[in-house]
Parts: sequence; structure tokens; C-alpha cells
Amino acid sequence: MDNFADLTGAPRPIDKTLKMRKNVLFQFWRFISLNVRMVAMIFRGDH
Amino acid sequence: MARVVVLGAGISGHTAVLHLRRSLGKNHEIVMVTPNSKWNWIPSNIWVGVGKMSAEQVTFPLAPIYKRKGIEFHQALGTSIHPEGDKDHVKGFVTIKYTSPEKAGQEAQLEYDYLINATGPKLNFAATEGLGPDGHTVSVCTAGHAIEAAEKFQEVIAKLKAGQKQRLVIGVGHGTCTCEGAAFEYTFNVEHELVQVGVRDLAEVIYLTNEYELGDFGVGGMSFAQRGFQTNSKLWTESLFLERGVKAILQSHVSKVEAGVIHYEQLDGVKRTLDFDFAMLLPPFRGADIKAFNKAGEEITSELFAPSGFMKVDANYTPKPYEEWKAEDWPTTYQVPAFPNIFAVGIAFAPPHQISKPLTSATGTLIAPSPPRTGMPSGVMGKTAALTIIDQIKRGVNGKVHGASMANMGAACVASAGAGFTNGSAAAMTMYPVVPDYEKYPGVGRSSKDTFGEIGLAGHWIKYMLHIMFIYKAKARPFWFLIPE
Ligand SMILES: Cc1cc2nc3c(=O)[nH]c(=O)nc-3n(C[C@H](O)[C@H](O)[C@H](O)COP(=O)(O)OP(=O)(O)OC[C@H]3O[C@@H](n4cnc5c(N)ncnc54)[C@H](O)[C@@H]3O)c2cc1C
Repeated sequence: MDNFADLTGAPRPIDKTLKMRKNVLFQFWRFISLNVRMVAMIFRGDH
Repeated sequence: MARVVVLGAGISGHTAVLHLRRSLGKNHEIVMVTPNSKWNWIPSNIWVGVGKMSAEQVTFPLAPIYKRKGIEFHQALGTSIHPEGDKDHVKGFVTIKYTSPEKAGQEAQLEYDYLINATGPKLNFAATEGLGPDGHTVSVCTAGHAIEAAEKFQEVIAKLKAGQKQRLVIGVGHGTCTCEGAAFEYTFNVEHELVQVGVRDLAEVIYLTNEYELGDFGVGGMSFAQRGFQTNSKLWTESLFLERGVKAILQSHVSKVEAGVIHYEQLDGVKRTLDFDFAMLLPPFRGADIKAFNKAGEEITSELFAPSGFMKVDANYTPKPYEEWKAEDWPTTYQVPAFPNIFAVGIAFAPPHQISKPLTSATGTLIAPSPPRTGMPSGVMGKTAALTIIDQIKRGVNGKVHGASMANMGAACVASAGAGFTNGSAAAMTMYPVVPDYEKYPGVGRSSKDTFGEIGLAGHWIKYMLHIMFIYKAKARPFWFLIPE
């Protein structure tokens, strides 16, 4: 019996999104940005 | 002179001893008791499990580090705690049993002024018949397990290359498991490798979980603010499963595993089976097998430990329904109330309750993810206990008692979805706080500013950077203490 979770309501990423997820320059910017956000989050709480 | 004994050189215990040693003079003794000779950066075991890293890349010997730092090292298991001492000991002490080849099986007693229990999880494969490396499934919980998983995975790849269809099932092996994030990571690393070697079309990849919905991760899911909309980890995770063609079976309790067959029950109470060619199912966790005794030698294990084997600390353990759970139920100091010189940190402390809503199946089976205590909170707890001990040793009873509640602490979780410097990806998620606080953050329980998720190559770089940074820190290289937990 097929009792797999129904994923039909999930958004499928468009080609541009998939490309940007692998674009080295854009991802380098995301790397910096994510690190800054993570460090800020760490210092906001008990650490 | 004070003597601090730490049980367990994992993320929390090793963090604690390094901070203790750094701040306390050589006249104070810092003692580590742990059964393995090597430290393991467990998050990277995922990459060992797909053959992308060797066991040597995720482990290193502890003895040279402890020798360099002046930390007394016993390769042994803690077996019992005697917080009041006994007729021969005025102070509290622990009994240990050596595991090192030279002294295997020998016992010793170590007195302490302060004790930190950082023994992490006991991998409870026995909870499900046929689960684990001694049964019919593989695991990535230790570097050794991950090596075995990689070998079995290579066999599957060979069969796929020979044109045989294969079903790979990855997930959790019991209704009360935690660490769904690790199972998620392994799923997508396996899927990524299958694509890389060009055999994805013949492989069916299934994620089998006790989560109520995808994206729950044992923390009740997360809400994110993205481009002016409020979205959630469910939609976001489902999108990844859809994109990568991974199927999911939710709300499951695995009751038994036979060769090639998983028996599981879902919330509807129906018992089903799932055939597999390769299965990596994480075990449920329990506390280490440690007993406790009072001065007269009578057993007081149930006073110090919950039935799950985890140690009871300054949490509110009063049983209450989900609707009445509060952020304040969670511990802050990790001290054992009756013995404030004993602490339990990381996975070793008993959580007051789950974070995700616990559910039972139509037949009464509990299907409830246990609360994850991931690397970052574990490290913070280890440091917090160390800071309290340092202050109390230096300032006596007036020393500050430090606190770090999971209800006031964030966690960064970078879930690898495939390794590769230019073609890797990971889901980078942060949540703040780990335990939702619906009074402070009405509606979603967490700060929308500090709770976010993003998938991409940058996540892989972060995951790799964390691997390098935390191994550097654990080796206590120069300025290690500047790297946050
Ligand atoms: C496969 C996998 C992947 C993961 N990935 C991530 C991730 O990407 N990010 C993240 O944040 N977290 C991740 N985690 C979770 C993370 O590993 C844990 O949160 C963390 O290791 C908990 O730290 P700890 O110190 O409590 O326990 P551990 O790190 O498990 O350490 C416990 C130590 O105690 C020792 N010990 C056991 N019994 C005794 C005893 N009786 N006496 C003395 N010592 C004893 C053990 O040998 C061990 O050294 C992952 C977990 C797994 C299983």
C-alpha cells in the first residue's frame, strides 16, 4: 500500500532558484550573510 | 585544592574540561573519565557514512591533548555515583571501570568536589528487535558504525551499477527517537551520492520517521519569515523532498526489523511492513547505565535519574499536558537539586518533556520525537556548568551560579544535503529559542528574526567550516576558546 506523505502541496523550486543555490558568487554572499546572522543569534541568547 | 571529575568526553564534557583547565590553576585537579581513547566530531559521521570522509578525519586521540593541558585522563566508564561518600570516603566519589587495553575490567574510585555527568546517550538498539549493526540495519552514530554503513552503501551502489533496483530506507528506528535532523542529513547525502555515481534512477530512497510532519525535527517545526511571508519548515522540507524525489513515511514507530523487512505502526494504529535493501535507522537514546548509592550503600538511582536513565536536574518534572508546558520547565543551571555539586549536561540531563506534541497511535503506542539536544546547546551547557564550578571554587558559596536554558538559547543546525565544494548543499537553519516560548513570542513561540532556513552551497561550506573549527577547538589549539560553542 502506498502510504507515502502527500507532497503535492509543496512548492517546487524553479530553475532560477536551483541555479542560485549553486552559484558560487551568490552563495559566497549567502555564506557571509548566514554566518553573521548565526553569530548574532548565538550572542542574543545564553551562550 | 579542588577536584572536578567529568564523566564523558563528548561535545559537552570535553568543552567543560577545557574551560575548567583554562580558568583553574594547576593546584586544582581536573579529571576526565571516558570509555573511548578518541574524540569524535559526530556531525561529520554523516560524511563517513557515505564514504566522503575517513574515520581519521572525524576523530583524534584524547590522551595527548589531556597530557598537554594537564588534565588527568582515565579511559574508563563511570559505573556508579556516591554523592554522600561512604564509610571509607568523606567526599562524594564515582566508581569507574577501565576500558583501556592495559587496565580493561579493573575498577577504581575517584573522589570529587564537583562532578559533571556528560555521558550523552546510550544507543538503545535493544529497544527495537533487529535494529542496529548487530541486527539488520546500519547506523552512523559512531565513526565505527559510519564506516560499516559506508561499506554496505558501496555494496548497494555496486548492485545498482549492475542494473538491480534497490530500496534504501533511512530514518529512525523507534517511535520515541530523537536526532531526526541527522537521519534527514544522511538521507540527502545518500541521495546526492547516488546522483553523483549515476545510479539514482534505479534507487528508491525513503525517509521513515516518527515526526508528525516533515520539518518537525523533534522541535515542533519552525516558522520562518521569508520575503514578506510567514512560511514554515514543513513546506520548506516538503519542497526539498519533492525536488530530490525522496519519499517520506511519517508518524511511524518501528517495532521490529527482520532481514530486509521493517515492521512499523503509524498513528492510525495500522501495522505495516516495508521491504528494504539498505536501511540506516537511528536508535532511541537512553541514559548511560550509572547507578547511585547513599552513604549507607543503599541504592538511590531513582532519586538522581529519571526512568530513561537521564539525570534529573533543576527542571520542572511535574507531569502535565502539552497545553500546560512552559519554557520555565526547562533547566538553567543543570545542577542536581539535592546535590548542587553534581551537574548533568548535554544529552545526559533528563528533559522535562518533549518539544513536539506527543501523540499515541490508535492502539496506544507512543509516537513522540524526543527533544533533540544538539551540539551547540550541549557545548553551551558544558561551558555553563564549568563556569559555575570555576566561580564557586574561586569565590566559595558566593560564587555565581551560571545559567543557560534551552528556552533562552538558540541553535544553529546545518543539515548537509550532499557534500562537494562546488556541488554540495545543506539546509542551514537556526532557531531561537530551541524550546518555544509562547508567552514571549505569541503564536509561533520563537523569534522570527532569529529563526530562519536556507538551502544552498553556502550551507555546505558552513558545515565544512564547522567541521574544521570544532576539531581545532577540541584539540585545544591556540585561541580555541574564541570559537563559540
Ligand atoms: C549521526 C549524528 C549526527 C549529528 N549531527 C549533528 C549536527 O549536524 N549538528 C548538531 O548540532 N548536532 C548533531 N548531532 C547531535 C550531537 O552529536 C549531540 O548533540 C552531541 O554529541 C551531544 O553531546 P554530549 O556531550 O551530550 O554527548 P556525546 O557527544 O555523545 O558524548 C558523550 C560521551 O560520554 C561517554 N560516555 C558514555 N557513557 C559513559 C560512562 N558511563 N562514563 C563515562 N563516559 C561515558 C561517551 O563515550 C561519549 O564520549 C548529531 C548526532 C548524531 C548521532
